[in-house]
Amino acid sequence: MISDTLNTAGAIAKGMATTLKELFQPTITEDYPFEPPNFEGRFRGVHVLQRDANGLEKCVACFLCAAACPSNCIYIEATENTGDNRVSAGDRYAKVYNIDYNRCIFCGYCVEACPTDAITHGHDFEIASYETGTLVYRKEQLLAKEPQGAPAK
Amino acid sequence: MPELVKFKLNDKELTAEKGTLLIEAARQNGVEIPAFCYYPGLSLQAACRMCLVDIEKRPKLATACTEPVMEGMVVWSDNEKIHTARKTTLEFLLTNHPLDCPVCDKGGECELQDMVFRYGAGGSRFVEEKLHVPEQKWSPVVYYDAPRCILCYRCIRICNEGMGVGALGLNYRGVNSEIVPNKGDHLECEECGMCIDICPVGALTSGAYRYQTRPWEMTYVATPCAHCGDGCKVTLSVRNNQIMRGNNRDASGLNGEFLCIKGRYGYDFTHSAERITKPRVRKNDELVECTWTEAIAAAAAGLKAAKTHGVIGSTHTTNEENFFLQKFARQGLKTPHIDHRRSADFPALMDALAGRPATPSALATSRDVLEAPAVLLIGNNPTDQHPMLAWNIRTAVRLRKQHLYIVNRASIPLVAQAEAAKIAKAGEEIEELERFRDALAKEKDVVIIFGSEVKGADITKLVAFGDTLPGHTRYIALADNANSRGAVDMGVLPDLGPGYQPAAQAGMALDEMLAGNLEAFLIVGANPARRYLIQAGKAFVVVQDMFLTETAQIADVLLPSAGPYEKGGTVTNTYGEVQRQKLGLLVNGAKTDLEILSLIARAMGFDLGAANAATQSNEVFEEIRRSVKGYNIAAAALWTGSAVPAVTLNGAVPHRDRPDLIASSNDTLFTSGTLGRYCSALSAVAEAKERKNPEGIGK
Ligand code: SF4
Ligand code: SF4
Ligand code: SF4
Ligand code: SF4
Ligand code: SF4
Ligand code: FES
Repeated sequence: MISDTLNTAGAIAKGMATTLKELFQPTITEDYPFEPPNFEGRFRGVHVLQRDANGLEKCVACFLCAAACPSNCIYIEATENTGDNRVSAGDRYAKVYNIDYNRCIFCGYCVEACPTDAITHGHDFEIASYETGTLVYRKEQLLAKEPQGAPAK
Repeated sequence: MPELVKFKLNDKELTAEKGTLLIEAARQNGVEIPAFCYYPGLSLQAACRMCLVDIEKRPKLATACTEPVMEGMVVWSDNEKIHTARKTTLEFLLTNHPLDCPVCDKGGECELQDMVFRYGAGGSRFVEEKLHVPEQKWSPVVYYDAPRCILCYRCIRICNEGMGVGALGLNYRGVNSEIVPNKGDHLECEECGMCIDICPVGALTSGAYRYQTRPWEMTYVATPCAHCGDGCKVTLSVRNNQIMRGNNRDASGLNGEFLCIKGRYGYDFTHSAERITKPRVRKNDELVECTWTEAIAAAAAGLKAAKTHGVIGSTHTTNEENFFLQKFARQGLKTPHIDHRRSADFPALMDALAGRPATPSALATSRDVLEAPAVLLIGNNPTDQHPMLAWNIRTAVRLRKQHLYIVNRASIPLVAQAEAAKIAKAGEEIEELERFRDALAKEKDVVIIFGSEVKGADITKLVAFGDTLPGHTRYIALADNANSRGAVDMGVLPDLGPGYQPAAQAGMALDEMLAGNLEAFLIVGANPARRYLIQAGKAFVVVQDMFLTETAQIADVLLPSAGPYEKGGTVTNTYGEVQRQKLGLLVNGAKTDLEILSLIARAMGFDLGAANAATQSNEVFEEIRRSVKGYNIAAAALWTGSAVPAVTLNGAVPHRDRPDLIASSNDTLFTSGTLGRYCSALSAVAEAKERKNPEGIGK
């Protein structure tokens, strides 16, 4: 009976010691949504269509991402670059580039398929919406910002 | 029975016809020998070295595309030596190749891609910088990208041999070699795009399609071409109800690999901004847009109020629509006045040939032209008006030594292929035939092909002449448009009903109707106002059309109809071959002429059947098969994409000769009546300006 009591008190003391020790460790729980979360570099969020060093769009509208996409959510319309309207460095660019986030499963196959590293996963993930129509993202929403001081096109 | 030889391929005993090229003999036996420059029907080039095979007792590998099989030959097409040779050939082909497949139009359907994937090495040993030459625009429809060219010479040969144009050549030597167009920096040719189609890689690309999409993104619909009366099959590549391109790589139609500029590029009238997509009715002398319900009611009321009616049909609408139209006229409106713009005197031909057996037929098919030992061509200029016929004749002259005899009012391009040609004064074509009598008497079988110059009594004289020839003489009358023949076969004529049967009551012909005092007109897909003066306001006019033509402008009710690529049905080419037209895409706002007609019929209380929009085309086709003489054709063959000849020789055809009404609109390669006016590619090419339509008549 006495040894039982001592054992219990010992266990409590041990437990409390751990609690006490952890109390002074730095926190790893994130305070989302009150603070922005931290991401691993490879986190697959909303896509970003990248630009090259000159600010031109990297996407050459090859449709390979659309072909690789298992949920068929990428829609592209291609057209030709001309002398006075150069959008990408290749012969063609995507006039329309839509990703339907109602369907996207964030598998990253499109990123794997892209021969020009144009499509990448960004870190944005807060895209829930009450209206599915707003989940079809257009090129303008997906494109990376033009770099500061990019040469005039 | 052709002589057979035995040979051994990859240790298998095989046989083939003597003289067959090894590459063909292997293909016939299911062994693929890879090739770039070899192309069936074209001269041999042996330029690419891809087809190398190992032949016993030969010190070096040999090209299978130039080697005829011989008795006892022992060949390997699949050993280590050959694998290495193929890998090296491909490595050399890629030394200067940009490998920009992701932006190349050919990516996904490229022979070079496929070959490298199957036979190529994993990498290249060439690290030197690649030669870059900028892309060249040869014409609005043909672009050339030299670095992608593998110098197979297919384009040069198809243009020389197949097209007889010879617009392409080779410049420079070695790695700098490139294909050049005849004018140095641009092309002056027929703009057929055959060179683009035959190019195994993405070196030649189409101005209408380049950089728009990718092959796997589209659906493919093979359907008869909407333009001339030859009935080529064109494969439309469709994405999101938009035609992205026309081509013919599966070569499944009666045209083989051929397409002219109209078939290949002349589809964009479908997407013209000038299409009418809302019905209109005339209010206070102005055509104002309205709903379908209002327009159909107005059309029905106007037609009902009139006591006399004239009906004008089209040479572009389907057989079903034409059949239904004449039924609408004769049984619904109870008017005998129905006609269309005629361009060949089929009734006179059927009458002159009355009493001949159905087989062997006295009417020739398009295939017969390819196989006939001799062709007599009277009038017409097939190079412009029937490009596939011209292609078939050139092919037969080149590959089968066909003899071509020409009688024409002018010197036409086909004279270059002719054995003998004679310029005749207008109306004297038949007399001039006497000059060829001796030559033709020596030919085995002759196919006689004639244009709208020969009509009425001249056809009887022509058949009498043909009867004096030995052998089996067959005839072809050339009519302008995709379904000119169908309009006649379906009885859109004042004196004849469907199947060349006399109409119960003969009516007025086109000119008489328009000059007369009829109270109402129903005009479907035709533009008589371009040729005849139609006084506006005199009669009540209902027009069904795709565009605001001269005729549509004077309509009281204008109903927007669907184009030929937007509906199912059947059409009959000028040779009498029936083909199934397939629904390629839908255009918002338009309805098919058949649906419009049945809506009007219902509003007027006519019971003509075919009321269900989804199935009406098939219902009417079944009715045609049941009731039109000669059209009880094999539906299964038709549904699987074949061209099936209608049997239209069914005894005497008591018809009223009106040779003055039979005229070709003399379309060139770059015009096509009303449709052609709305095809941007046809008018964009420079040649369109020089090649004038002599009479300028239009649809
Ligand atoms: S994002 Fe990449 S894979 Fe997708 S179309 Fe553009 S270049 Fe091609
Ligand atoms: S021609 Fe063929 S191999 Fe060459 S870039 Fe185009 S798709 Fe690729
Ligand atoms: S478009 Fe036709 S005619 Fe012109 S170069 Fe090509 S093959 Fe020859
Ligand atoms: S352009 Fe095309 S068809 Fe012509 S030689 Fe080059 S690869 Fe061959
Ligand atoms: S030959 Fe006639 S049917 Fe053939 S593609 Fe040209 S216009 Fe069309
Ligand atoms: S196919 Fe034989 S050498 Fe090109």
